[in-house]
Amino acid sequence: MAAARRLKRVAISQPGFLTLNPKVTPTDLVSSRRKRVNKNKKKNWNKYSDVQDVEEFLEDVRHQERTTGKGKSSRPLRIDLILQHDSLVAPPKDVLAYQKPNAKKLRRTAERAEKLAANGVVPRSKKRLLNRTVVDRTSKKTETEANNNPERDFYDIWGQETKDLGEPWYLQQTRKKLVKRPEKLNEKPSVLPAVEVIAPGGSYNPDFFSHQELLREAHEVELKKKKVEDKLERQLAYNKADTATEETILREQVEGLVEESEEEEEKDAPKEDGEEVAVGAIAVADKKTERQRKREKAEKMKEQQRLTERRQTEQQQQLFQLRSIKTSIKQQEETTQIRQKRRKAKEEAQKAQPRRLGKLKFQPQDMEVQLSDELAGSLRQLKPEGSVLMDRFKSLQKRNLIEPRERAKFKRRLKVKYVEKRAFKEIS
Amino acid sequence: MGGLQKKKFERGSATNYITRNRARKKLQLSLPDFRRLCILKGIYPHEPKHKKKVNKGSTAPRTFYLLKDIRFLLHEPIVGKFREYKIFVRKLKKAYGKTEWSAVERLRENKPTYKLDHIIKERYPTFIDALRDIDDALCMCFLFSTFARTGKCHVQTIQLCRRLTVEWMNYVIASRSLRKVFLSIKGIYYQAEVMGQLITWVVPYQFSHDHPVDVDYRVMATFTELYTTLLGFVSFRLYSSLNLVYPPKLDSNGESEPKEESEDDYAMNSESYLEKLSALSASLARVVSSADEEEAQLDQFPSEGEDMEKMEAREKELKQQEAQKKLFEGLKFYLNREVPRESLAFVIRCFGGQVSWDKSVCIGSTYDVTDETITHQIIDRPSVGKQYINRYYIQPQWLYDCVNAKILLPVEDYFLGVTLPPHLSPFVEEKEGDYVPPEKLKMMALQRGEKPGNEQEEDEEEEEEEGEQEEEEEQEEDDNGDEEDDEEEVAEEKNLKKMEEQRSQGKSLHVKVTPGKLKVENKARLEQEEKAEEKRLAIMMMKKKEKYLYDKIMFGKKRKVREANKLAAKRKAHDDSEKAKKKKARK
Repeated sequence: MAAARRLKRVAISQPGFLTLNPKVTPTDLVSSRRKRVNKNKKKNWNKYSDVQDVEEFLEDVRHQERTTGKGKSSRPLRIDLILQHDSLVAPPKDVLAYQKPNAKKLRRTAERAEKLAANGVVPRSKKRLLNRTVVDRTSKKTETEANNNPERDFYDIWGQETKDLGEPWYLQQTRKKLVKRPEKLNEKPSVLPAVEVIAPGGSYNPDFFSHQELLREAHEVELKKKKVEDKLERQLAYNKADTATEETILREQVEGLVEESEEEEEKDAPKEDGEEVAVGAIAVADKKTERQRKREKAEKMKEQQRLTERRQTEQQQQLFQLRSIKTSIKQQEETTQIRQKRRKAKEEAQKAQPRRLGKLKFQPQDMEVQLSDELAGSLRQLKPEGSVLMDRFKSLQKRNLIEPRERAKFKRRLKVKYVEKRAFKEIS
Repeated sequence: MGGLQKKKFERGSATNYITRNRARKKLQLSLPDFRRLCILKGIYPHEPKHKKKVNKGSTAPRTFYLLKDIRFLLHEPIVGKFREYKIFVRKLKKAYGKTEWSAVERLRENKPTYKLDHIIKERYPTFIDALRDIDDALCMCFLFSTFARTGKCHVQTIQLCRRLTVEWMNYVIASRSLRKVFLSIKGIYYQAEVMGQLITWVVPYQFSHDHPVDVDYRVMATFTELYTTLLGFVSFRLYSSLNLVYPPKLDSNGESEPKEESEDDYAMNSESYLEKLSALSASLARVVSSADEEEAQLDQFPSEGEDMEKMEAREKELKQQEAQKKLFEGLKFYLNREVPRESLAFVIRCFGGQVSWDKSVCIGSTYDVTDETITHQIIDRPSVGKQYINRYYIQPQWLYDCVNAKILLPVEDYFLGVTLPPHLSPFVEEKEGDYVPPEKLKMMALQRGEKPGNEQEEDEEEEEEEGEQEEEEEQEEDDNGDEEDDEEEVAEEKNLKKMEEQRSQGKSLHVKVTPGKLKVENKARLEQEEKAEEKRLAIMMMKKKEKYLYDKIMFGKKRKVREANKLAAKRKAHDDSEKAKKKKARK
């Protein structure tokens, strides 16, 4: 309701507004009623009360006071009259205010100092003050001392004689001795060189064969990738024959429930044989008689004798087999040597490999190679391939200086809820 | 009975190693701080031989450090600085939050900083140790100096790297120690011999390229911090070994100085000095200006075990090296605008030549193109406008090939418009029996002083890499049947929407009961649905490891498909806009 009234008022106040009744003007309609205001509210004190006359009077008074001494009234203030002394007796003199302890002594020292200063002698405290150096507050200490200040100074760090701060015993007792760096830390973590030059096929204007060599290597890398993909595809391949037909479904569901006579007969025959064999095996063994024991002992002795005889004859025969024994031993040694060499080569190759230092495996970067049609004819038309930044980063990982790292993903702690706007809800 | 029983994992390798998180807690540092400390001190994680023993029975991949190394870290004074910095950050944040600007200023002025000098002295006790590790440092510094000066890494680091690389290049020029150069598709490889050490470094090309996202910038920045300090100290030592002033100053006598007015066009006063230095066209000032004295030839006595032959061979080698160092002496080069100025200027000056370029390209050009005494002009365009008579117009590969061949090669092969001979790598050493490219044979013949008789030109047949193209292409697995289905569903949805609108507007729907339509069962669609189901079943039956691999592959494929689609959409949008423009033009 108030909004409608406001709207009407605004419309009426527009210039050129025509009322239906020609006698009535827009101004009558607007100012017909005045809004009732509560003047007791603090909010409305400033808004709806007119204090202009009071302000004028006060301004007048203040102006008079500024220009003349006391303004309108020229009487002295009552407070001033009260504070005046009305007794005719003079107040007593405060002797202590005039007394100064040590006045004579101080006067004498001051005179002495003056005489000395006149002669040019400067007292000790002043001398020390003058010797103090001025603090340099203009230069920004931190900027010049920062490690990456472009104007920083370098000095001969290896040529200086070791600054002997003190005796080693003293340094140790005062805990100022620097700890020695362990020797193991000076070993390089990898045998690879710091900068690996690209193969000759990577030249901007390469020789034909070396370029083909490089392409072949890249080709092999791609082949390996394709192999992995093919393997996955094969795993996902599905045999049509394995689809469940109605017959197989029925058989599965009905397994064990339905008794079919044909199959039972077939199963009976093999079952019986099995039972008999089982029965035979469970038969209890009779106790061994003395004779059986003796017989067994004699057999054992004979066996042993035979074996010893055999061994003896073998040893004798080995004399004649020396040559073949030699060759077999040689072969064994050769194989062990080959194996040792292979193992050593593997170890060396392993050393050159990047170690597994963390969660992620080392991913070598893509080979930088330009196809035959991408090769530039001149240095001006060359389009660089690969980035040195990535190359350096990967080289640091390869040399085991840092662990392979991946860009940190943005993980939300709380799930995001998707809500449609009301307007869209009506549509869909 | 009753003997002391040994518990598992209480002695031996299990107690020698400590996991990363445990180490971090022992040092009371946050993970990035711990990483930074390890990089600065040179402490690297170790892979134990028997992981199961160290990991107390499990084979989960964890990062292990040697316990002794971590104990050594505890004594490092920088650890205290890291903690101070953490507190500084906390106080700064509070001051910002309370909008106490005076406190902010005060804190900023007293920001804790640290220096790495003692670490360098500890890690590289002798100068030769430092020289051995300078390859990595150089590569990092050159790499960082090519970064754009946005706020990603400290601009000061980039400036410092630029200064150090310029100083290094000036040193190599002054000592004439460059030996090999190789232009590859990745960057330019240089090899120099400094104090008996072979130092190889790679410089990226100057064209701007997108930086890869996977690289951890903080780690690289920490390495750079260490390496800049190292390189600075090494530079100081190298300069003092050559009797040059450090920080380097340009030699003011002898060279014709560029006028003062033109310098304002290039750089601010503060930076103009560095820029002039980086132009690599002027020589450096020495500590003690020494006139060229003839060094008395020392008598050479053969060392023990060496025959006269070997000594003579060594002498011959030294002479060859001396001759190589003066390869471009007496030659005057002029570089055109389109060639890589810094690299060529560096190579030319390293071998004693004089070089200049156009005034508007860079500060420090000594002579103009109209100079009559120029012997070679390096151009990379197919043709050039005005040709002077007494100079050769050659392509930049001539310079690099000459450096690698150690002699001045015939210029005819490198004229403008001529197909260049291949740029061979000087870093490959062919053993007997390996294939040696004919160009290299020719070069070796030239080196020996023979002139090549018949130039055998081999037809370079470039085979089409069919197999590769197929493998590199994507196998898109979108079924066409699905697209049709989608269209039908979309049509149905539209219908429903229309009906809803009508209802909302209060009109009665014209719905009648009509006889049902026969929906033809799409056989192809059924088949495909079956296939999809079978696939899903097979996926369910895969083992966890295999499923993980499969997911990775599928993700990669989908991403490629999405990117291809994006590109196709962009292309389409572009084509459409072109068509619209054409239509408008016609109207």
